[in-house]
Amino acid sequence: MVAELKYEISQNAYIKLVLHALKHKTIAVNGILLGRVNPQNESVVEIIESVPLFHSNLALLPPLEIALIMIEEHYGSKGLGIVGYFHANERFDDAELGIVAKNIGDHICRYFPQAAVFLLDNKKLEALPKGKDQSPVMQLYIRDASKNWKLAGPDGGSRLVIKEPAANVVLSDYISSEKWQDVVDFDDHLDDIKMDWLNPELFK
Amino acid sequence: MVSKTEESQLNRLENQVDNGGGGAWEYLCLARKLKVRRPEKALKYGLSILNDSKKRYALGPEQWTLYEQVAIAAMDCQCLDVAKDCIKVLQKKFPESKRVGRLEGMLLEATGSRAEAEKAYSSLLEDNPLDQVIHKRRVAMAKAQGNISAAIEWLNKYLEIFMADHDAWRELAEIYVSLQMYKQAAFCYEELILSQPTVPLYHLAYADVLYTLGELENLQIAKKYYASTIDLTGGKNTRALLGICLCTSAMRQLSKGRNKEDKESPELQSLAAKALEKDYEQIADDKLGLLTCALRSLKI
Repeated sequence: MVAELKYEISQNAYIKLVLHALKHKTIAVNGILLGRVNPQNESVVEIIESVPLFHSNLALLPPLEIALIMIEEHYGSKGLGIVGYFHANERFDDAELGIVAKNIGDHICRYFPQAAVFLLDNKKLEALPKGKDQSPVMQLYIRDASKNWKLAGPDGGSRLVIKEPAANVVLSDYISSEKWQDVVDFDDHLDDIKMDWLNPELFK
Repeated sequence: MVSKTEESQLNRLENQVDNGGGGAWEYLCLARKLKVRRPEKALKYGLSILNDSKKRYALGPEQWTLYEQVAIAAMDCQCLDVAKDCIKVLQKKFPESKRVGRLEGMLLEATGSRAEAEKAYSSLLEDNPLDQVIHKRRVAMAKAQGNISAAIEWLNKYLEIFMADHDAWRELAEIYVSLQMYKQAAFCYEELILSQPTVPLYHLAYADVLYTLGELENLQIAKKYYASTIDLTGGKNTRALLGICLCTSAMRQLSKGRNKEDKESPELQSLAAKALEKDYEQIADDKLGLLTCALRSLKI
């Protein structure tokens, strides 16, 4: 039986990924999740940071390989590892986890078996400004015993929460102020190395 | 496809207009010429001209092009009333026009009446079987509905007739890549390189696809195309420089078990590495350490 885990994502990591998706509304985007197993509680995976990756040709290897090497190197020295993958589909009504996301997820599982894949939930994102929902606008996918990616259901089992309860309020604020324009991803960096994929000034 | 200079020109104009320095019409013309998709700005600036009768009359016959541009931008922003108004104006001025008929079809798409739109396009194509825009709208509609196999089919049929449409080849290649159909994507890039051999983007994309396919033969060719990209871009393309390093490393891994020595000299890789380190040192020195580590891990 697969362990039931709580995935806890920090506000900044969460918001950065959603803003990245909003910056590139008409195409698929993806990102890497960084964190660790909670040292006091093995059944909690903390996602402490995120790096927005690409907004074009997500299924090509060279940029992905370079990005993973650099990301691992940078965060490894801070005690964080790659713990998951984020994906946002191109179309609004596409709620399926596609093959590219599954493949990248599989690759990450080789190094971190409890790795999760988060898929942007477009309908929830659309409803965000209207509601008071504190749950993340993402769906959680984890691998079952036969290594198939399954949607984590609301009926118990693994779940995804945001560490800071007011994160969606902050996110809605950023959306109104079009903060997504400031998000830099790895594609931007490869096009112009002056652009910093660490986004150090984003939340200052 | 937009170059860096063209993009910065567009951004500069955008800033200028946003800060009250004028240039809206210049921006709209440039956006139209470069075929970029910035609907919010196109809508805002376009309406500022159309709603001002003096500015509108000053455009003369070009105002109709603006109505078309604003209609499309409005549909992209889901401002369907604005789109409907623009189309009405054009219908009055150009009754029975096929070009306006296209806009009517797009409006049907935007309101979600996809079956009606399909009918409208089919009938327009009956009268005008060589209308490229409508053919491509059909592909776009299939893609928007998630019917990727239909999109591929239509796009292939389109390219049989209009084989010089580079944007269409690129679109097809990108669709194939998203489905991990790399061999088919490679074919598209081969067509593009044959017809436009001095465009570095195609060389780079082809190399990326070949690298992703893997296998020694593909990696050898990929390395050549990364090299030609570097040649065509005067050594300024970070992706191609990194590609050289990745190829060399992957080829070394693959030939390990085969007792085949890589006959190619290691100079290309070390030159690429040096160029990258120089660039990072000058422009992004906070990331230089990461680059050096990455290059080191690729040499293993």
